[in-house]
Amino acid sequence: MSPNRPARPTRRQLLWEVGGGALGIGLAQLAAAKTHFPAKAKRAIFIFLPGGISHIDTFDYKPALAANHGKETKGANTITPFFGKRGAIMRSPWEFSRHGQSGAYVSSLLPHLASHADDLTFIHSMVTRSNSHGPALFQMSTGFVFQGFPSAGAWISYGLGSMNENLPAFVVLPDPRGLPPGGVAHWGNGFLPAAHQGVIFGRQEEPIADIRPQSGVSDAAQAATYDLVSQLNEDHMRANPGEDALVARIRAYELAARMQVSAPEATSIAGESESTRQAYGLNDPEIRAYGYNCLLARRLLEKGVRVIQMYNGGHFGKPRINWDAHEDLVTNHGKLARVMDQPTAALIGDLKQRGMLDDTLIIWTTEFGRLPISEGLGEGGRDHNPEGYTSFLCGAGLKRGLHYGSTDELGYKAEENPTTVYDLHATVLHLLGLDHTRLTYYHNGLQRRLTDVHGHVLTSLLA
Amino acid sequence: MRLAFWAVWVLVPLLPPATAQDLFSARIQPILEKRCASCHNPEARMSGLDLTSRGALARGGKQGPALIPGQASSSRLYQFVSAGKMPPGQRLPPDETEALREWIDSGAAWAGAESFHKQRARAGLDWWALQPPRMPDIPAIEGAVNPIDAFLLDKLRARGLSFAPRADDRTLLRRLHYAMRGLPPTATELRQPLPDAIDATLDSPQYGERWGRLWLDVARFGETDGGEHNNERFTAWKYRDWVIHALNGDMPYDEFVRQQVAGDVLYPGDAAATAATGFLVAGPWDSVTKQINKDKSMAMSIRQDELDDMVTATMASFMGLTVNCARCHDHKFDPIPTRDYYRLAAVFQGVTYGERTVATDAQRAERARLVAPIEAELKNVRDQIAAIEDAPRARLLRERYLLLDRARGGSARRLPVNPIWNREQLAPTTTKRLRFVVTASQGKFVKIDRLEVLPASHVVTNWTAAAATPESPAVLEINLPAPWTVSELAWSSDAVRGSRDGMPKVYRIEASVDGQAWREIGSSLDHDSDVEVLLPEVSREELRAAIPAASVSRWQTLSDERGRLETQLRAIPALPSVHAATPEPMQPSYVLERGAIAKPVEPAPPGALTAIRTLDATLELPPETTGAQRRIALARWLTAPGNPLLARVIVNRVWFWHFGNGIVNTPSDFGFNGDRPSHPELLDYLALQFMRHGWSLKWLHRQILTSQAWQQSSAHNEKAFAADASNRLLWHMPLKRMDAETLRDSILATAGNLNLERGGPSYLLQKKASGGSYMFKALDNDGAEVWRRAVYRFVVRGGERIFLDSFDCPDPAVATPQRSVSNTPVQALTLLNNQFVLNQARLLSTRLESDASGPVEAAYLRLFQRAPTARERDLATRFIAQHGLALYLRALWNTNEFVYVP
Repeated sequence: MSPNRPARPTRRQLLWEVGGGALGIGLAQLAAAKTHFPAKAKRAIFIFLPGGISHIDTFDYKPALAANHGKETKGANTITPFFGKRGAIMRSPWEFSRHGQSGAYVSSLLPHLASHADDLTFIHSMVTRSNSHGPALFQMSTGFVFQGFPSAGAWISYGLGSMNENLPAFVVLPDPRGLPPGGVAHWGNGFLPAAHQGVIFGRQEEPIADIRPQSGVSDAAQAATYDLVSQLNEDHMRANPGEDALVARIRAYELAARMQVSAPEATSIAGESESTRQAYGLNDPEIRAYGYNCLLARRLLEKGVRVIQMYNGGHFGKPRINWDAHEDLVTNHGKLARVMDQPTAALIGDLKQRGMLDDTLIIWTTEFGRLPISEGLGEGGRDHNPEGYTSFLCGAGLKRGLHYGSTDELGYKAEENPTTVYDLHATVLHLLGLDHTRLTYYHNGLQRRLTDVHGHVLTSLLA
Repeated sequence: MRLAFWAVWVLVPLLPPATAQDLFSARIQPILEKRCASCHNPEARMSGLDLTSRGALARGGKQGPALIPGQASSSRLYQFVSAGKMPPGQRLPPDETEALREWIDSGAAWAGAESFHKQRARAGLDWWALQPPRMPDIPAIEGAVNPIDAFLLDKLRARGLSFAPRADDRTLLRRLHYAMRGLPPTATELRQPLPDAIDATLDSPQYGERWGRLWLDVARFGETDGGEHNNERFTAWKYRDWVIHALNGDMPYDEFVRQQVAGDVLYPGDAAATAATGFLVAGPWDSVTKQINKDKSMAMSIRQDELDDMVTATMASFMGLTVNCARCHDHKFDPIPTRDYYRLAAVFQGVTYGERTVATDAQRAERARLVAPIEAELKNVRDQIAAIEDAPRARLLRERYLLLDRARGGSARRLPVNPIWNREQLAPTTTKRLRFVVTASQGKFVKIDRLEVLPASHVVTNWTAAAATPESPAVLEINLPAPWTVSELAWSSDAVRGSRDGMPKVYRIEASVDGQAWREIGSSLDHDSDVEVLLPEVSREELRAAIPAASVSRWQTLSDERGRLETQLRAIPALPSVHAATPEPMQPSYVLERGAIAKPVEPAPPGALTAIRTLDATLELPPETTGAQRRIALARWLTAPGNPLLARVIVNRVWFWHFGNGIVNTPSDFGFNGDRPSHPELLDYLALQFMRHGWSLKWLHRQILTSQAWQQSSAHNEKAFAADASNRLLWHMPLKRMDAETLRDSILATAGNLNLERGGPSYLLQKKASGGSYMFKALDNDGAEVWRRAVYRFVVRGGERIFLDSFDCPDPAVATPQRSVSNTPVQALTLLNNQFVLNQARLLSTRLESDASGPVEAAYLRLFQRAPTARERDLATRFIAQHGLALYLRALWNTNEFVYVP
């Protein structure tokens, strides 16, 4: 792209924005994703656990915690908490054991995910720039600690466009228990065209906001409306030749009409087998809602949605219903893990069984980890830890069962191969066939990137 | 050690470098490239001097030869550099100056290619936008009365093109009303002659609303903090109203700028001018990291981000420069050194986010007059109550704290820090000298009413100090009569009343043997935080029981009196407040290496851009300055007539909003990475005339609106399209899709439901959800209150999706000098199916059903300001017969003819 992009979209951009945008479509470019090099993954899903899931109670086994349980951290090793009090070192309340051929340590908190240990590619040395939820969440969603930059999903939509005619390229599946702070900014288009903002899929009856006509508008009336608008628009277009935008807007209405039919089809799980429902936990009232999202995610990925951002963990009000276990780790993580574990594992298993793991990329992550010390009170909680935590990738183009990087013996700081959010994003784009230094957009004086001026592809993860 | 260092230093020049050529390649060329070549190259040739080639170097510049080989001290190059005159605004490091001296003294040998000048990859001080505008000759073009047309036609004709024919009157009146008021014209307005209509729209109060909304995009105006807690700014609307009011009153643009940067200090006591500084703090703000975080370096880095947002907004909005790029390194494309960035940041040192009281002296006096007598009486009553209850309460409190503390004997943690009773368990230390170092306290002073060193009791009483900060702590030194083995210390700040005023909150206790080296032996970190433990209190009943019986009835009477006075006091309205630039204690400013808070390089006095050579970048400030002086100086610097950018940037913004194309197509970036002007002479002409006409925006609008360029039609022209597809030369008026606010306002207006009430608190379309969530839920509200213009809605950052979001209305986290215009099926679904549209359709259908001219005629007149064609009537009749008038109207609002204004 030239550094001086004209403010008025060119003919090509107009066609492309409709063609490859939010609800991508037909036109010539459909499916002709403009990758920078051959892609390993065609589609991606971010599974995001807001609040900060503890790495040292899930995938990062630290025997030293038990050995030093109750000891204070002193001197140069003193740990500064975010806002809690500095407590003593606290062992994990869960037992760790080894799983799969790779012998990965996983705690008893996540038995279902443990059974997929050999499919996962772990990064145990994640670091992030802020110890505060807001900025850290924004960094994971957008690469920047400030609000307002395009989300990773929007960049992917902008870079690759859509693979289907009737559904958005970028879908968001929020946790029904509430949105993370920052809300829609986490899947916003920032300064990219609005076509690239994530589209929320919600209730089954109305998967997309305004997808259905309001009550009192019959199907026949709706069809007649599309028809009338189209006739008036075509007359108007003939009176105003040479205006691409008018053509593009006529096309957008045709697509809207198609989406109105196809989106509810995509969200209906009537045709799914009982064993599938069971696997995703739909029969368990506690985990049903997240289970439905996981199943919906598989269906949308199958139907050609390019990128999904799915949340596990609700809002930050009082009481918090996300992974932010300040007061009571056992209750908090215990409850949330029961909801997260089974459906997430079912999604991985389902994609694998359908052969989709070969060209689908899963990114399981949180905004930061938790400290090896307790907050010193009550039942024992852990404060925020931006200095070291675990994320895992899974699927296309990755070495499976790999453990990359490590934290120190307490799990406090990343020690071997510290990995930034920029590195993670660069690697995700790489697997999708995009060079993070070349996927740019001009805004207020800069060619902006998802990775700002940072980021290295984690080549040791690549198969 | 020091000697050895100097020995090496002196020896270096004496050690023969491999050759003189090596010295040039290794040291000199990089210095010339980095420090000199941005101005002294064959293109810029500032002062006629080019230092990038062997020949040009030998020729020298206007002032004569640049150097005399073998004689550094007589060479201008060395003289200027060593005296710090060049490069402007920065002094070379001594090793570079020394290398230049050595090179000249050794004969100034050149090496490598004849010239090292490369194709320009960045802007130098000679960059076009940094030069003062020059009044151009107006091209002599027959038939061009308005100079705007002369400049445009000059370029069009050179390509064999011309303007499209003049648009018809209906089109022009529609265009005018949408452009100037953001609303369609009524039937009556449609009959006005164009010149009258131009006057009328400029005088219309909706002009300020429309153009104010455009400015609010530049100002990244939002009414919540954003981020985790996303708190509301319930008084931020006063900035929005100030903008609208300023535009309607045609406030001179230079004054418009001055007030936004420094209105509160230029006009102390003027509520409106203070509201104007809402500009500085209109952006998102991370209150959580700033206020809750315990990690000091994190909080400092957030403070730096606050300053960054103010610098970025000020420089991008007014100057069209991306100064923020220089936060971590010298700007890679524009001549903006990192030092300038931090000098600008220093200007805003005294400002932070918050709500401040804005009251006139009269308002303050009036309130004081009402409050003073009640407060005096209240003090008297409180004193009398204290005389009765203080002693018994202090006794009860102390007993209870002791009990509670003992009950926790096994715990490693102490009671939360409190005013009544704090016991510090120390690492046992034998010492004579102790000190109690307070780095933060409640309120603006520090006090300890009693401190006791145990086990052998040594007591200090009634110690006070000024406010404590981590940089300048308040220190209570304790000299024991003899070396003791100290293991415990107990203290209170206000044992009698339990008030937290002055209570040390963050402190450490240190011991020293020699009074030089101090060792920490305890700190406030050993206490629990105060949210987790309920500290003892004394109830009224307990107090009643503890008071001498004879005093009880008098005590009760006094207490009732106190209650009555307090109620009276609360009934007096608070002074008005506003979210605006709020005073913050000044901190020292530094240039930071790569933006890292932990790596200060040198102090950064307040200053402005050295790249603006027509102005004094030091701001002519004395060394010791207040925040107010700094901002006033910057406001004057920005609006000085010699500033080459201020007028150009705003003229271009207005042009951009009228034509959908700028003369410069990157309205907030006039630097190297930005666009080059399509018509530089026109830009200079308009900028200079604009200043001559008192910086009047209405004058500027009038020039544009009366031009042939603005009045031409949108007609397509294949030849012109082939030559200039992006319409840079303005061979026709482009069709413009309504922006989100105009679309919503116009639906309401054509439905006859627009509520034109002006100003005041914003109406809500999203509201913080209950249950402690920080999420803003979209409201399902309807009615006259939310039928006000969209500029008056409460602008939430990151709220649940609303109608406007589908149409590229930005979440105002970053400035949006130009909105994107996208075209998506989601927009189609929103405009068709959103409840808002259907409601308005139903309301309008009720209105039109009884219209004398027939509902279809009436609808066309309202929406398109024309009569329907026979075919359109026919389509309408058939649709309405089957599906009703309301759904027909809904369809009309969805047409391209409604959404695109020609």
